[in-house]
Amino acid sequence: MYSAASKVYELFQPHLAAYGMPDTAIIIAAYAVPCVAVISIISVIAGMLTYAERKISADIQNRVGPNRVGPYGLLQFPVDGIKLLLKEDIIPDAVDKKLFKLAPYLVFSSTVLASMVIPFGGSFIVADLNIGLIFIIVVSSLLVVGFLMSGWASNNKWALLGGIRSAAQIISYEIPTALSLLTVILITGTFSLQEIVRAQGPWPWQWFMFYNPFTIVAFFIFFISSLAEMNRTPFDFPEAESELVSGYNVEYSGMRFALFFAAEFASIFITASLATAVFLGGGNIGMHPYESPLGWQLVMVLVFFAKTFVLCLVTIWVRWTLPRLRIDQMMAMCWKYFIPLSFACLVMTAAWMLVFDGNGMFWRMAQR
Amino acid sequence: MNAVAQYFRNIRDAVVTTLAGMRITLRYWMKEPAITVEYPDRLGPGETVDDIVSERYRGYLKLFSDKCIGCMQCMRACPINCIRIVVEKTAEVRMISRFDVNQAKCMYCGLCVEACPSQALAMTKRFEGACFDMSELRVRHVVDPVPVAKLKK
Repeated sequence: MYSAASKVYELFQPHLAAYGMPDTAIIIAAYAVPCVAVISIISVIAGMLTYAERKISADIQNRVGPNRVGPYGLLQFPVDGIKLLLKEDIIPDAVDKKLFKLAPYLVFSSTVLASMVIPFGGSFIVADLNIGLIFIIVVSSLLVVGFLMSGWASNNKWALLGGIRSAAQIISYEIPTALSLLTVILITGTFSLQEIVRAQGPWPWQWFMFYNPFTIVAFFIFFISSLAEMNRTPFDFPEAESELVSGYNVEYSGMRFALFFAAEFASIFITASLATAVFLGGGNIGMHPYESPLGWQLVMVLVFFAKTFVLCLVTIWVRWTLPRLRIDQMMAMCWKYFIPLSFACLVMTAAWMLVFDGNGMFWRMAQR
Repeated sequence: MNAVAQYFRNIRDAVVTTLAGMRITLRYWMKEPAITVEYPDRLGPGETVDDIVSERYRGYLKLFSDKCIGCMQCMRACPINCIRIVVEKTAEVRMISRFDVNQAKCMYCGLCVEACPSQALAMTKRFEGACFDMSELRVRHVVDPVPVAKLKK
């Protein structure tokens, strides 16, 4: 098993073992180092995405956006973070205090946990689990528990409605998400994300998105239903500013609110990176992710982040284009359209693999 | 059969309308410039505050003391008595020794300007009246006494 954690382990094992440190402790430390690195990177990226969101929404609406703090307002997000840190942390009297305090951490950790198995290109992956994709699906459904918990514990009509809506929405949209990811699993035969990236190639016709017509549909189903899973417009029912004020997080303030907010924007990045890794070839530049020199590994990271960045922009772009759907439309879209379509994609991909002997649409072109 | 056709038409409509909307927002995103006026400090090249205020804006009052005939029509026209004029007669000449406008009280109705028979009062485009003490808003238009003008027939 290769990963960043195992590299750290190889690096420090001889030194730490010399001091008589037990092996289990070294393994835990070796996993903690990349975990902390990824969490801090994800938090910074979430902050940058808030800036990007505000700037792009301003561009779309002929406004200027944040432009006072730093050049082009680039320092706006650290300033906002500091502001939220300094704000008073209000815990209302009527709330269920334990659940109220626990919920933001649950939401944030379930979002960030998903990033543990995402291959950022090269050997930069915290843990290359052989159940990687299932791990992501399982962990991202923990989000529901956090939302429902915060909605219930707040003891507030709006928060409770937001929590209930998010539960209904995320549970429904989990199915098309998982099914559209499963079409790729049919092709690769493994759940390990690093292996899925390695099975693809650097060129678009080697990506799983263009494997056959059904994986293209599967990609879009995955992308749209993950929009619903991370509560973005047009599916932002749990927050729905105009009807629920702010949904499950109305009662929160200060850093607890910031955790919800960071989780929301981190999940944009994580979904985009998952789509990149599974459907768009990830950081694959046609070289071995572990055995190539460090310089090429960094190029892989760049490629990965470039693709992810484009998907993040599309996510933001969709938000500022489409209005919120009605809740029955949202449910109908999931159960009447996405689930049958993703099942059809799954079955048709299986049939395709039988008929074409496991080759994609462009296999002749790729052979040349 | 009809229902099946409707099902696929729904899918097509969803895709087409979404793409149409996203094309519009893309155009606004990439091409259309911001129309925001960044008022105090970034007004664009060569622009001043006067350029962003529309014509006939009713701002601060302005007195052309060489045209004023000292008739005090403006003082009487003012609904809230924010103009105070003192005219004194010394020797043969009538002198305006005081022409105060209290801009803090002024409601910018423009009745004084309409009442003026010699077009000596005018409204400027100046609107930036923020200050730390209200007495700063009492504008003395006449510092040294000036002789009144003769109304041209």
